[in-house]
Amino acid sequence: MKKIVSMLLTGAMVLSLAACGGNAGSTASTAAAEATTAAAEASTAAAEASTAAAEASTAEAPAGEEITLDVIICQYGPNTNEWFLGSGMNGTNFVDKFESENPGIKLNLEVVSWNDVYTVVDTRIANNNAPDILNIDVFANYATEGLLMPVSDYCPDELFNDFFPSFIEQSVIDGTVWAVPDLASARAMFYNVDMFDEVGIEVPTTWPELEDACQAIIDFYGGDVYPWGIDMTTDEGQAAFAYYTWGNGGGFVDADGNWAVNSDENVEAIEFALSLINNGYTNPNPATQTRYDLQDMFAAGKMAMLIAPNQLPTYVADKGGEINMATANIPAAEGKTSSSVGVMDRVMAFKDDSAPDQAARNEAIGKFLEFFYDPENYVGWVSMEGFLPAVNSAVEALVASDPSFEAWLDVLGGCQFYPTAMAEWDQVKQGVINAEQAALESGDIQSELDALQDALTQ
Amino acid sequence: MNGIRTKHKWTPYVWLLPSIVLIAVFVVFPILIVFRLSFSEISKAGVVGGFVGLDNYKEAVNLPAFKTVMINTLWWVLSVVGISTVLGFIIAMALNQKFRGRKIARSVLVLPWATSLVIQASVWNYIIKYEYGSLNNVLLNTGVITQAVNWRSSFQIEFIWECTVGIFVTIPFVTFCVLAGLQSIDNELYEAAIVDGAGFWQKLRLITLPLVKPALTVSTVLNIIYVFNSFPIIYTMTKGAPANKTDTMITYLYMLSFYDRRKGPATALSVIGFLILCVCAGLYMRFVMRGEESA
Repeated sequence: MKKIVSMLLTGAMVLSLAACGGNAGSTASTAAAEATTAAAEASTAAAEASTAAAEASTAEAPAGEEITLDVIICQYGPNTNEWFLGSGMNGTNFVDKFESENPGIKLNLEVVSWNDVYTVVDTRIANNNAPDILNIDVFANYATEGLLMPVSDYCPDELFNDFFPSFIEQSVIDGTVWAVPDLASARAMFYNVDMFDEVGIEVPTTWPELEDACQAIIDFYGGDVYPWGIDMTTDEGQAAFAYYTWGNGGGFVDADGNWAVNSDENVEAIEFALSLINNGYTNPNPATQTRYDLQDMFAAGKMAMLIAPNQLPTYVADKGGEINMATANIPAAEGKTSSSVGVMDRVMAFKDDSAPDQAARNEAIGKFLEFFYDPENYVGWVSMEGFLPAVNSAVEALVASDPSFEAWLDVLGGCQFYPTAMAEWDQVKQGVINAEQAALESGDIQSELDALQDALTQ
Repeated sequence: MNGIRTKHKWTPYVWLLPSIVLIAVFVVFPILIVFRLSFSEISKAGVVGGFVGLDNYKEAVNLPAFKTVMINTLWWVLSVVGISTVLGFIIAMALNQKFRGRKIARSVLVLPWATSLVIQASVWNYIIKYEYGSLNNVLLNTGVITQAVNWRSSFQIEFIWECTVGIFVTIPFVTFCVLAGLQSIDNELYEAAIVDGAGFWQKLRLITLPLVKPALTVSTVLNIIYVFNSFPIIYTMTKGAPANKTDTMITYLYMLSFYDRRKGPATALSVIGFLILCVCAGLYMRFVMRGEESA
């Protein structure tokens, strides 16, 4: 008996160790737990505040018809939490203000970090507990699996017509719009103006000019400055794929919208990018140096050119860098047109068959969106983290507050987006990153892309 | 008499109840769910479908990176556990000597173990950074090198760095296990051995090692489990890049599930990992039980 008990005990102990990942996991998770506790405390405070507000408002609302919407918002930066739950919205916050203006609707709003949001959402879906409203980048998987409601079910017409049409097109599958854009950013080439003056070179617009500029920078500074930055990391290597293939008339899909990752244009484009690395024109470890590493180098005056989003000036200023920078089109292959890369995030609504009054729920979601995109609220939200807007009604106010927005809005008008509406996008995204990273070692991008294309067309 | 016996029968279980409940809810239950999931179809968005037999396992084993990842995992566990055990043992022997500042040395040693692994790995990232890493800075300023060295020039070297960090953070655990064992050895044994004319190696082989063996067994087996399951170092330093060449099983199945969104094979892989650990744990239990019986 004693032996059996001790066997059981040892078993339980080993099992628990095996499952929790031991000191590695536990120290990390303790830290994480502490962080979440702090966050929870913060949100409890916010929740208390909002309960108070809700109590005040229920007095006017018809009894028994209160609707609670579960909302997940991604954390774009340090201000996101303050804006939605703290006091970042002129002393109040999004939830309080919404609830006081919309009696009868309560928000159960969570701000989730980008690192966790996929895990959180997937787990909730698996447990049959999807949020009502979700803010995230991707939508195709949710739409094709029948989890989302068409936008026309809940979005008021006036608001729907306010979105930039080119943005809405990115969220269409089989003729149905499944999500609306919440904000966007656009990428362009940034260069260090002082360095260019010192070396005496012009801004490159084509690939051969880019090579010449890189060589001139190397000749002038020796190895002290990287002329060009490349990020082929697991985080964002698909962006590098887009920069070069789109600049060579290629891309993820062909003219008919079918996957064409191994086209001759693509192979040529990535081979060009690899040649920049092999010639020593770039940062040395593109597989592990993220865009943020590159931005740090640019801010420290160690990199002359890179492709970055419109927030780069703010980023550099926050880092204490004083770089005299300017933007230009991303260099393209000779005779090909340059195209910028647009990145867009979305808001979408999940189905909830258990909701007693579907019409009232749809109306509540519509009210949420109207409130979200009301210029009075939306302009502050978009400019707070330096993003570009998704609705026409916000443009005027944004340009008035920061004239540099205007140039970026032009860039945004002409940029291409990732084919996120296609169901295989996750596979393609990770596939091109893997292909790039493998080619960094082997030099053979053709066979890597062929293998990916085969897997896609099987 | 009778009353005392009954009391003896159930009191242990009362004391054990909280841990049993916790383990059941947070360990056993999730494990059962993962087992069920590994035989089910799981969509990209996480919707669980019907029974698909061994399809997920077949897909997992046929993944192009599967072989690389298994070999990496083997190297990772062998090198980190092996080297840290040897080094930890030597350090424990040193710390068991009487010397001035021993207490400080012992408390400094615990630091790598007491710091969060994510922070450790990030700090190491800064140390070996090519552009403004402190390793290059120190070596340049002391004149050891004249030009900055790219410490992460290939994936093999990246993986060696990850193993090095793994070893660095694992040594304290081994040291303290062994140190506890060493302190329990009666000094009279050594005195007797010295009288009999035994040298350093004879004392080590005939007294220290046999008596420290239980502590060493515990630390080794626990380390195999810890290190096999260790996620933060590799995820923080390379995320498996380039192309899964520095992934171990744990980081790979995370990438598979949440980056590639292939949840089926990812759950199958985690079950395979669990079974491998169960075998290790089973061997350990047999080992320990047998040791106890013969003692």
